[in-house]
Amino acid sequence: MKVGLFVTCLVDVARPGIGFAALKLLESAGCEVVVPATQTCCGQPGYNSGAREITRTLARKVLAEFKDCDYVVAPSGSCSGQVKASYAQDLFKDDPDRAEFEKLAAKWYELSDFLVNVLQVQSVPGRFEGTVTYHDSCSGLRELGIKMQPRFLLSMAGASVAEMAEAEKCCGFGGTFSIKLGEISTRMCENKCASARATGAKAIVGGDLGCLLNIEGRLRREGDHETKVLHFAQVIAGEG
Amino acid sequence: MSARENILARIRGAQGKPGAEPTAVDLDRVRAVMAHPVTGPQPAFAHPPDLLVQFLKECDRVGTTHAQVASDEGIPAEVARYLAATGLEPRLVAWPAFAALDWASAGIAIESRPARGDDRTGLTGSTCAIAETGTTLLLSSPEQPKVTALLPETHVCIVRRSRLLGTLEEAFALERREQGELPRSAFFVSGPSRTADIEQTMVIGAHGPYRVHVIIAP
Amino acid sequence: MQVQSMFFKRRASEKLADGLLQANMRKAKGKFVDARAKSVLEFGNWEPLRDYAAKLRDAALADLDAYLVEFEKNATARGSVVHWAETAEEACEIIAKIAKDNGVRKVTKSKSMVSEEVNLNERLEAAGVQVVETDLGEYILQLAHEPPSHIVAPAIHKSKEQVADLFTEAHGKPRITQIDALTREAREQLRGHFLSADMGITGSNFLVAETGTTLTVTNEGNADLVTTIPRIHCVIAGIEKVIPTLEDFACLVRLLPRSAIGQSITNYLTLTTGVKGPGDADGPEQMHIVLVDAGRTKFVGTDLQEMLRCIRCGACMNHCPVYQNIGGHAYGWVYPGPMGSVLTPVYVGIENAGDLPNAATFCGECAVACPVKIPLPDLMRKLRERQFEGHLRPWPERLGIHAWSALAVRPGLYAFAMKWAARVGSWLGGRDGLIHSLPGLDGWTKGRDMPAPSGRTFRDLYRERQGRR
Repeated sequence: MKVGLFVTCLVDVARPGIGFAALKLLESAGCEVVVPATQTCCGQPGYNSGAREITRTLARKVLAEFKDCDYVVAPSGSCSGQVKASYAQDLFKDDPDRAEFEKLAAKWYELSDFLVNVLQVQSVPGRFEGTVTYHDSCSGLRELGIKMQPRFLLSMAGASVAEMAEAEKCCGFGGTFSIKLGEISTRMCENKCASARATGAKAIVGGDLGCLLNIEGRLRREGDHETKVLHFAQVIAGEG
Repeated sequence: MSARENILARIRGAQGKPGAEPTAVDLDRVRAVMAHPVTGPQPAFAHPPDLLVQFLKECDRVGTTHAQVASDEGIPAEVARYLAATGLEPRLVAWPAFAALDWASAGIAIESRPARGDDRTGLTGSTCAIAETGTTLLLSSPEQPKVTALLPETHVCIVRRSRLLGTLEEAFALERREQGELPRSAFFVSGPSRTADIEQTMVIGAHGPYRVHVIIAP
Repeated sequence: MQVQSMFFKRRASEKLADGLLQANMRKAKGKFVDARAKSVLEFGNWEPLRDYAAKLRDAALADLDAYLVEFEKNATARGSVVHWAETAEEACEIIAKIAKDNGVRKVTKSKSMVSEEVNLNERLEAAGVQVVETDLGEYILQLAHEPPSHIVAPAIHKSKEQVADLFTEAHGKPRITQIDALTREAREQLRGHFLSADMGITGSNFLVAETGTTLTVTNEGNADLVTTIPRIHCVIAGIEKVIPTLEDFACLVRLLPRSAIGQSITNYLTLTTGVKGPGDADGPEQMHIVLVDAGRTKFVGTDLQEMLRCIRCGACMNHCPVYQNIGGHAYGWVYPGPMGSVLTPVYVGIENAGDLPNAATFCGECAVACPVKIPLPDLMRKLRERQFEGHLRPWPERLGIHAWSALAVRPGLYAFAMKWAARVGSWLGGRDGLIHSLPGLDGWTKGRDMPAPSGRTFRDLYRERQGRR
């Protein structure tokens, strides 16, 4: 089974460890993983800024890069949502290549969904002692139905998940929103941090690096240097 | 060009339709739709095994109190009981349809006229009632002034057991069948008037009645 | 209402710093959301209902011209006078003229968002007509001289203490702060107005083409008094409100109160068709219906037409994390939250409301909550496309997008740029790995640190790893 790893632009530049954690999880489950060297970005920043044409160009690039893979996996609900819910349904809706993008969407999985529902893993390499709380990031949750998958994997690693109030509420990241409307974004994040901290968990875990950087940035600014902020891949791969 | 012509022309232009007014074909199409009303998805509880049970359950939910009587002759006694139990004076302003009942024996003073701002209790009757939502339908007519259901602090409404329906759609179908068209006012009432405009806190008795009491008669 | 949407950022900032407003919004937050969730669950087949309603609204909009003409014909046959207004000003003129021609001195009004859009109260008051808002929330705001901050709960931003202050000043009675007592006081104040008004003005939740009926859904009963007692009833409604049949209304009214406040039905459904009949004990002698365009046709036939499905339930704003934190006034016009972020830029010009389509993280809660499945984030994105294509966003933002695009399509250059971004970022992060401020990113760093990159890109590390194998 040939699995393409879509690393995501944020993981590439900011937290390569998440990429390696994903790699480890896939390889230890027996996948042949390929990582196309030319990959850059799924196009979402441009798409959500109204730059449609450039997004189409990037979508074609992604399509070509993963043409030969049986599956494509990304450690992000947000990028996966872009590929699965926007390429065929919007950007190439009336395009002759629509079917190609539908095929891409069908073989594309968010990491936790792939591990649980395709590979049906029964164990994970990592161990985590203690309590974590899970932030549901918006695209994964509402576009892809990612909800129980990461929690299931975390429990396999031995972590106990304490649910925060409003776990499904946006953390305020929203890509360029976090900079364009920074004050509102910050307040949303403040609320999220308060909900998370109220659980007393050792770590806030999520599936999208954008949200995690946002939450970590706010926690540290508030003077909290103890609570860890982790991608679930790091936890279950034992690389937290 | 009038505003009407401009608006219609703009709609048609934007939707790629020729001309400035709907064509005969367009009008025929929409008339066909209107002539055959379609019912959308309904909840399971709109078709309960027992309409009365569902109706009373919804009445409880919306804050409508209720009682049942065996015949119309029992209405004055039930009204007297309700008014006494609620601590209200035995005085009514009622729709003419109920004026002939024997109110005197029940100790109730009744006036058959539209309610005014200072009347305390109004008695009306519903054309039909809807089990899905615990709703009564009041239609306006010379004999059925709407104000009687609105101005008094207490509204007592007679519901006919045989006129209990499942849904709003059934009520509209009944109206078409019996009246042919809607009267000036069709007024669907589900419980006492309420508001939550201050701090989203529900308060009963905004501008309409504080109490709605339904009496189900055969 | 004066458009203030161009000052969205500043207004939002003020609202975030307003402690009283924040406390009031915190109290309100969730109440509607939880009640809606409960009633949706109880309903059972909610999703089929939403699908059906969306199609129903689309079908009505596809034949909007024909349904309007049919509505006009059927309403006229029942003695209503149908007026058409292309603009806000025209709508006001028509109603002011009706008032003048009939010697109207006092108007009671039931809540109408269109009337807020067109500044109707101001226009009538300028003509010497007393206007009394009778919806409790609207009445409070009339005393406060404020616009609504929510389309269903207009005074959601006010505490009971603030209401008490307003009532004490206006009514000259001892100050009380219990909510039920305040409500009773308003009832007593307004009763006289209901009975003495010459004209009643309402909006209309839907216009039923089949019967020429206008209808309102309310809980307070004020719309019923306003449509029953005065000798003239005037309805002001957007042209998009028309639906074919009463059955369509039955469908939509299963969605509307549940989505708005989690109620299975509103206390009153008020269907009014024409004028008082011969011998009728009550009802108006004249019935006027003003059909308002005021920007609605700008949606027709465009990729934004789905917005016209809107049934004004407010679920999108109730669920919106941005709205929950800043309240409705920050948006600077009549319609706040996600629906307003689509409506306002089109109604008042995108150049006057440029931040609104951008005031969303695209978290998607609004689209999930919308009873008629308006894809609100997609529509906001389409407005962003118009802004991008029309060069309407600030230059640093445009430059950023162009720079990012130029890199993202050139893998070699991209890898090089990211190598340096990771390296410089890591250096900027210093010992604690946090960037505390960064020019150009101060929107982020004003309230948050930026966790610094760890120093090397995944692609470089991966290449090395493969090289070792």
